[in-house]
Amino acid sequence: MTLSLFALQILNGVESGLLLFLVASGLTLIFGVLGVLNFAHGAFYMLGAYVAYWISERTGSFLAAVLIGLPVMVGLGWLIEKLAISRLYARDHLAQVLLTYGLVLVLNDLSRALFGSEVHGVATPAALSGTVALGEAQTWPVYRAFTSLACLGVAVAIRQVLLHTRFGMRVRAGAVNGEMVEALGIDVRRLLSILFAAGAGLAALAGMLAAPLTTVYPGIGDGVLIVSFVVVVIGGIGSVKGAFLGAMLVGLADTFGKVLLPGLSGAIVYAVMAAVLLFRPRGLFGEPAEAR
Amino acid sequence: MRLPRRVAFALLAFAAALLLLPLGGDRFWIQFAGKAMISCIFAVSLDLLVGYGGMVSLAHAAFFGLAGYLLAGLSNGLGISSFVLTLPLCLLGATAAALAIGWLSLRTSGAYFVMVTLAFTEMLFHVFNEAPGLGGSDGVFVSARPFAGRTAPYYAIWIALVAVFVLLQRAVQAPFGRVLVGIRLNEPRMRSLGYATRRYKLLAFVLGGAIAGLSGYLDAALYGFVNPAQLGWRQSGLVLVTVLLGGKGTLYGPMLGALLLAVLGQFAERITEYWSALIGSVAIAAVLFVPAGLAGLLRGSRG
Amino acid sequence: MAEPLLETADLTRRFGALAAVDGISLRVERFGVHAVIGPNGAGKSTLLGLLAGELRASSGRIVFRGTEVTRSPPEAISQMGMGRSYQTANVFPTLSCAECVWLAAQSRARTSMVFLRSADRDPEIAARAAQALAECGLSDRRLVLAGQLSYGDQRLLEIAMVLATAPELLLLDEPLAGLGHDEGHRILALLREIARDRTLVLVEHDMDAVFSIATTVTVMVNGRLLETGAAQAIRGSARVREAYLGEEEA
Repeated sequence: MTLSLFALQILNGVESGLLLFLVASGLTLIFGVLGVLNFAHGAFYMLGAYVAYWISERTGSFLAAVLIGLPVMVGLGWLIEKLAISRLYARDHLAQVLLTYGLVLVLNDLSRALFGSEVHGVATPAALSGTVALGEAQTWPVYRAFTSLACLGVAVAIRQVLLHTRFGMRVRAGAVNGEMVEALGIDVRRLLSILFAAGAGLAALAGMLAAPLTTVYPGIGDGVLIVSFVVVVIGGIGSVKGAFLGAMLVGLADTFGKVLLPGLSGAIVYAVMAAVLLFRPRGLFGEPAEAR
Repeated sequence: MRLPRRVAFALLAFAAALLLLPLGGDRFWIQFAGKAMISCIFAVSLDLLVGYGGMVSLAHAAFFGLAGYLLAGLSNGLGISSFVLTLPLCLLGATAAALAIGWLSLRTSGAYFVMVTLAFTEMLFHVFNEAPGLGGSDGVFVSARPFAGRTAPYYAIWIALVAVFVLLQRAVQAPFGRVLVGIRLNEPRMRSLGYATRRYKLLAFVLGGAIAGLSGYLDAALYGFVNPAQLGWRQSGLVLVTVLLGGKGTLYGPMLGALLLAVLGQFAERITEYWSALIGSVAIAAVLFVPAGLAGLLRGSRG
Repeated sequence: MAEPLLETADLTRRFGALAAVDGISLRVERFGVHAVIGPNGAGKSTLLGLLAGELRASSGRIVFRGTEVTRSPPEAISQMGMGRSYQTANVFPTLSCAECVWLAAQSRARTSMVFLRSADRDPEIAARAAQALAECGLSDRRLVLAGQLSYGDQRLLEIAMVLATAPELLLLDEPLAGLGHDEGHRILALLREIARDRTLVLVEHDMDAVFSIATTVTVMVNGRLLETGAAQAIRGSARVREAYLGEEEA
């Protein structure tokens, strides 16, 4: 593999890892703080992509799609938390899995009804449609660079919020000990709603950003969801740091896997997960299990 | 945990009716009953894990599909199609897969376990969907089937269902089943009482996986067709819905759930093209309003 | 001196920078009641968790019946003959008393991976379970669901469950906590009875109870061992009184 080809794979791997991080960070926090296994998370990704498609199709502006679509998706996330997710806090895993699974089925068919089942494309915004040269032989699309930077920016913002705001402190506390947070008298309900809505927004944003790169059709959320679960398992439930590392690991493994082992690329990610589990059953940064 | 008398009686009557169906029944209903019985076996095997063992596994469809693919492989690739050879081999394959996946997955617990089983089933889905020579997303036809004609597979399924139900019913009343329930109720307590809990969970996982493989084998034998969608997480999710809907932890409940969903599946296509949304709504409704399932409703109405 | 039943050497458990149990070395001789006392936060419950194998030691050793068990899982330690009861009653609320003790007794069967024979058929297990219930005075309530028992009865049930595992050594974490006067006396009488042919290690706050039953006493303060010895000696020790008993109004 030439150096520039190698660099290309690294860049692609990092970019897909960063997008994955957006989805996985919300998932791991929703899990860590709300204690809810959320299968519907991928649906937000899908709906984000659809909204991006629909609005950019009508307004001709990708920026408008993001600016309008993001608040809409956050609002939808807030609504779903109020109507459905909040009923799962006291329930067991089976209930959580099945209710969110049901949600996915409903939302998938909903988007099929609204947007049809054809595959749609979203045009790359004109301002970002050039390429950047990597050495002599390879180029990298400007849009991918933009996406990577945008995700990186969001990642930094998440870090700032978690480490330097009161809200972030409560989230981190809740990720470690949910009951404690409640005992401290903090309005947990509001915290949970905001967190879920934020998580949904992040997933939707990832879907929007990714829309010009991949096609948009009813099932795109599913693949992302499962890989996000793998990232959460690798990184540890409730750990954003773990989600970041896990996402990078998965993004790079997947990208290099597609190039080096084309037939088995789909399975590589799971092999990585299995390897991590052998040594760290709670993920890289998850709470260590007490019993042996 | 002993089967309530009315339920036992109803099951016997049902079994008898199913036994007699091929003698006078419509071809459509025989095919439908065969499919429904396979779903019952599949659901009951998952109840062992979920209802008794407390393990929410999304890998169950993997064993179903794997056994079916193994049959296709044996029949198409090696020309072996007699049930005497294919049944044990396919069961062995499903058992081995359950052992491997179970051993790795049970290193985790709680939510990690759910996600890991999901990941493994997806991995298998990818393998069968993409690897060259395995038929891809179109699936594979089984060239020579283990049971000839129309009634032979039906009775094979009937025997399997009765055997599985009786076996599992005994197992849950035996020490194994009760220890499993104890583990579900409070695993740390069971460990401090001296039980090597992971071994019991693994055994339940493998047993359930093997029976799931049996149902997948019978499905492939009945229809002569396997495809990757049978291995995916949607299929695993669907069988979980039947377990919850029917009433987990009862064995006969999930059979009711499977039956209900089979009926829905058969006729839903005529009502709406949004079949997924219908199932999804049923799942949501079951979780919110009927958490104890149909079995729970029946119990309530009796008391 | 005879080999002690249970022995720890410099046992330590850290949570981050805090050493909840700090270099504890103690010997528990066979037979008798060995009490562990100390102010709140002294690390007593953590010590029990370490001994039972539920917590992993940061450093140090635990030796039970001559075998090192520092890295052993809880199920192995239980099978070696150590039983454990908890600070809050840890029974199976949805099972009946009979079923609870059955589960405990069944753990001593050669194997529970039995699929075809009904659970009620093993007479030996049933007998042991019934005996444990009888020893705790719960025979008449064997069919009552554990969750419906009074708290005092739940504590009794928990002890019955431990007894059904035929332990040589019992670790009891505040068995009198949350109990009224009469119920506490019942438990105490039961413990005296049990201690006749077994060894007890007892964490308790009720000083009257401790000194009415203990043969040896270990005092822990801030994770460290302050003093250990015969009950009377500890009772009379000025150091101990200063560190702990002095804080209590008699």
